[in-house]
Amino acid sequence: MTIKNKIFTILTIFVLFGAVFSATGCINNETTTNDDVNINGQDAVQTIGPEGELVLKIFHAGSLSVPMAELEEKFETLHPNVDVQREPAGSSASIKKITELNKQADILASADYTLIPTMMIPEYTDWYLAFAKNQIVIAYTDDSKYSSEVNSDNWYEILRRPDVTFGFSNPNDDPCGYRSVMVTQLSEAYYNDESIFDDLMEDNTAIAMTFDNGTYTAVMPASEYIEPNTKKIMMRSMEVELSSALETGEIDYFYIYRSVAVQHGFKFVELPPQIDLSSVENADKYNTVRVRTANGNIVVGTPIVYGITIPDNAMQPELGVEFIKLLLSTDGQNVFIDNGQPPIVPAVTNDAEKVHAELRALL
Amino acid sequence: MLRKKQTGHMLTSRKAPEPLMLVFLFLALLLLLFVVVTLANMVIEQVVTDLPALINAACEKSVIKSISLSMYAGLVATLISLVLGIPAAYILARKNFFAKGFVESVLDIPVVVPHTVAGIALLTIFGANGLLGAPLESYIQFRDAFAGIVIAMLFVSTPFLTNSVREGFQNIDPRLENTARSLGAPMWKAFLFVTLPLAARHILAGSIMCWARAISEFGAVVIIAYYPMIGPTLVYDRYLSYGLSASRPIAVLLILVTLTIFIAVRLISAGWRLYDKD
Repeated sequence: MTIKNKIFTILTIFVLFGAVFSATGCINNETTTNDDVNINGQDAVQTIGPEGELVLKIFHAGSLSVPMAELEEKFETLHPNVDVQREPAGSSASIKKITELNKQADILASADYTLIPTMMIPEYTDWYLAFAKNQIVIAYTDDSKYSSEVNSDNWYEILRRPDVTFGFSNPNDDPCGYRSVMVTQLSEAYYNDESIFDDLMEDNTAIAMTFDNGTYTAVMPASEYIEPNTKKIMMRSMEVELSSALETGEIDYFYIYRSVAVQHGFKFVELPPQIDLSSVENADKYNTVRVRTANGNIVVGTPIVYGITIPDNAMQPELGVEFIKLLLSTDGQNVFIDNGQPPIVPAVTNDAEKVHAELRALL
Repeated sequence: MLRKKQTGHMLTSRKAPEPLMLVFLFLALLLLLFVVVTLANMVIEQVVTDLPALINAACEKSVIKSISLSMYAGLVATLISLVLGIPAAYILARKNFFAKGFVESVLDIPVVVPHTVAGIALLTIFGANGLLGAPLESYIQFRDAFAGIVIAMLFVSTPFLTNSVREGFQNIDPRLENTARSLGAPMWKAFLFVTLPLAARHILAGSIMCWARAISEFGAVVIIAYYPMIGPTLVYDRYLSYGLSASRPIAVLLILVTLTIFIAVRLISAGWRLYDKD
């Protein structure tokens, strides 16, 4: 082949590659993304899906992923013309998408029901339903050290042992993280042992605990200054990384929601209701502990109760009502029971007048 | 002997410039601009819109710690690469053996493996229950520790060093080594006093590439060792927590620090062209 022909062949190959790559760029992206064009300050959400279906958009907490996925399947079977699109994220982040980024969702489900009145009522919604509970447990596997000994009376003793490693998520980013801190502090009063928090958390991170007038406040430094003692503890922004660390044996124990432990098939230590943020009866005990996150926000210890609402700016509020009906029904309750998240039956609301009429009947 | 300086310039010579060269010049300029504009824009925007933030960032404890950690860990990774890579490069340069091509390809694999995949693979081996991590558990911790950072950096940047050094050894006539040996020098003396100095420029260039690549690694490091935070991890963490304007000062600092060292070492090695084979 002459040089001219060689050059010609090479150029043709380049042009073909270029054409192929640009063609892939032109393929219609079916799924809606969060970068939809801003119209009138609100994102133009595609409410008609790629096959002419209606779109139901749900923002929800990460720990609701599995039950929400199951509800999505059931809902789409009942309503074949609807495409349910879920976006899991931290609960505060999910709410901020609506209140600060002007994104639209038909349903907002939060791992902390109190975030709805503090962050959304009254400008973005008027009501919420408390629909499920959860509790913090200490998850472990058969390969964890001292797994045959650990129980609800000695878990903190075992975590203290020098050859045991444990994990919890970053309180600045994840409600599960600040709840882990609260549980540890509450355990001091219950087990009558004043150094549990110091030994487990204060000595291994830069988190400081202050006591003032009957209230404990854990002060969180900015994430880059937390300085976890990585020989003893493992800290990550999202609990999911800790799950895989437990699976591979990187850590022996970690603080997590009971539902997630059940979903992953971990063994877990159930903690006394006085400390595990599970029961409304112990709410006044939980209130004695709070956490001040790095951005100055103060979170008070409350029972872990999931809240759900239909934001005012929902595009398909009627579909949202249908979905919540499914969630509250026996079918929906069973989904939560099977996933280790006991449902609150009947659901509790802040203001029955403000709730949609069809849902009021189910309360 | 000093080389004669090339007279004439492709554009100022008396002959009219070749059209092909002009096209090439244009395309090369695009490539150059792509790199320069991207980085310069970051730096200039930071300096012009918020210089105090840049200065504050330079004084912050966490920033200083993370950038120093990046550079130190990169240095350790490069040193280990030198110890392991120079012998490997020498064998590949001098010996022909069965499956040599295969071995050379294997040594290049880390370059094409996606970074996060490499990180997960390393964590599987060096984690507390891993093949190598478990027996070493009482001595070294890799997960969330300095050793893990170095391992991840080592994995992704060694190929750069081995390739450059191998090229350097290939450029050296084996007869020079043989001459030294025929004069009575044992093999190690011939290697140390003849081969290595002649390959010095390639070794240095390879080390710089290796070190630079190590410092910029993020995906592999963050999987095996999120803490202690290296520079790129800090930028990422700040970006997620606070946004672009909080993370840009550190990003600019990282660019400036690495560029400075990069340029300094290249300037130093510029004078070493004397030793190149003609």
